[in-house]
Amino acid sequence: MDVLFFAIFMALFAGVFAFLGYLGYKKTKTAEDYYVAGRKMGPIVIAFSYGATFISAVALIGFSGISSVYGHSLLWLAFLNIFVGILIAFIFYGFRTRKMGLSLKALTLPELLGNRFNSTKLQATSGLIIAVFMVFYTTAVFLAIATLFEVTFGIPYWICVVVFTIVVGLYLIVGGLYAVMWTHAIQGILMLIGMVILTIGIYMMLGGIGPAHEAASMLTQEDLTSMGWTSIPSGFTTLTSFPELFSPAYMLLLTLIFGVGIGVLAQPQLIVRYLSAKSEKALRRAIPYGGIFILLMTFTAFSIGPLSNVLMINNGLSYPGTPDKVVPLIVNELFPEWFVVLFLFAVLSAAMSTASALFHTAGASIGRDVFEKSLMKKCSEKKSLLITRIATLGIVFATLIISLNPPDVVAILTSFFFGLMACTFLAPYTLMLYWKKISRFGAWFGMLGGFIFTMGWYVLIYFKTAPELMGRSLTENYLINMLDPIFIGLPLSFILTIIFSFLIKQDNEEIKSMNLAFENI
Amino acid sequence: MALILGMDFFVFIAWIGTILAAIFCVIYGIYYEYIKKSNNDKDNSSKSINKNKKEVQ
Repeated sequence: MDVLFFAIFMALFAGVFAFLGYLGYKKTKTAEDYYVAGRKMGPIVIAFSYGATFISAVALIGFSGISSVYGHSLLWLAFLNIFVGILIAFIFYGFRTRKMGLSLKALTLPELLGNRFNSTKLQATSGLIIAVFMVFYTTAVFLAIATLFEVTFGIPYWICVVVFTIVVGLYLIVGGLYAVMWTHAIQGILMLIGMVILTIGIYMMLGGIGPAHEAASMLTQEDLTSMGWTSIPSGFTTLTSFPELFSPAYMLLLTLIFGVGIGVLAQPQLIVRYLSAKSEKALRRAIPYGGIFILLMTFTAFSIGPLSNVLMINNGLSYPGTPDKVVPLIVNELFPEWFVVLFLFAVLSAAMSTASALFHTAGASIGRDVFEKSLMKKCSEKKSLLITRIATLGIVFATLIISLNPPDVVAILTSFFFGLMACTFLAPYTLMLYWKKISRFGAWFGMLGGFIFTMGWYVLIYFKTAPELMGRSLTENYLINMLDPIFIGLPLSFILTIIFSFLIKQDNEEIKSMNLAFENI
Repeated sequence: MALILGMDFFVFIAWIGTILAAIFCVIYGIYYEYIKKSNNDKDNSSKSINKNKKEVQ
């Protein structure tokens, strides 16, 4: 495949999404339209948009690559993706978030926090944290998709990143959340088709589920090193069994599984999907669609990763060097050309859908939460939309600059973002929905306590980030330095929120906001 | 350790658990769409009957 094909392919994609962006622009009349699609979205669009935002190219390429190294144990993450990411998220968070968002007239997570605790400073600070770290997450998404295009077409990484950013930025800034969610529905369908065919194809090549898994379980460490694996993770057993308890491989899996699996509950870009629902019934109906969608995305991606090793050995292929390149290699070498094209559409869709949602949320955080609500106090709806569009453009540009010189491993960056958001926002967000006595100071201490602890852990201790940022980790004990901060930061954030809510109680204005928030619950 | 479908027990639990979680999502949807809905309808209709009775009295 050549550059001409890439150009036609991108033009087609850009054309369809630009058209949807135009339709979104026509429908976007108010700030509510831009931020939460007028709160008019139905179950299928919500489910596909939630799923397509949640499952990025990082999950399809990065995590299937990680599972090719750490084996089927990563299926625990697929389980949490459905059980926590869909069931608990929608049932225990979605319904209440929507009702509270309506009562408090909130359009973003920071605005929900700000209005609930009657604090624009809290709103602005949350918005700033979200916007800054979302840029890093989006970088991880770009890295995954650009790597795929580099492998497939031989097109330089930077060209892929630039083209991709322009396409997403265009339809997002023009069409707002309407365009984002409509494009998600189309992108979600493409992702489903691509992943289902890929999974069926791989299992058929290996003779079905049982024989495929048995073949993977029989690969020895010698087989894997002879194929080109440079190192075997310490504590690794086989591709279909769990690593040795508390070994480095076990600790890494624990980090990925819980960092992403629990972190999903406090993702601002996903919470917006609850706020966009036209009714509680629409959210309830979205659950089965969402469950099936995530099953066909993560369960398939994490299942085929380890099997790729069997296919590489059976077909005399060498390990491509990094986990991110394993699945693209299998697709390129063992599947017909039409499927390579389809798979590219699917992964590009996954990357675009997540990136557009992240840009939209980060732009809203800066535009609405920081500038409009905190710095400008009052402005017209027209001016509000303009500010957010300019802020989104700034976020897109910042991401582009960082993506051109990206940090190292894709999946770890995702885990970083999910864990950080969870430790910062999950405690005040959860308690805000269920506990009437939570106070503004409790929310501040819980949020900042979780944030500072997590950042400190990543900078000083965590084995992937501390050596890069500080030269080395403060401790060489892998049981500590491989532990995800979510295991300590999240309980700490809950404890701080509760303690300071008891110590510094709500004032009269907060009580009024609280009564308003629980008006429809 | 004996393997189930080529996976050890702990991995198999994750594998089957993921499928069951997705099935539960579907059952949840069916329950609220059809079964719970008909219960609500009954409740609503009985409420309206009571209301009508009160109005008659």
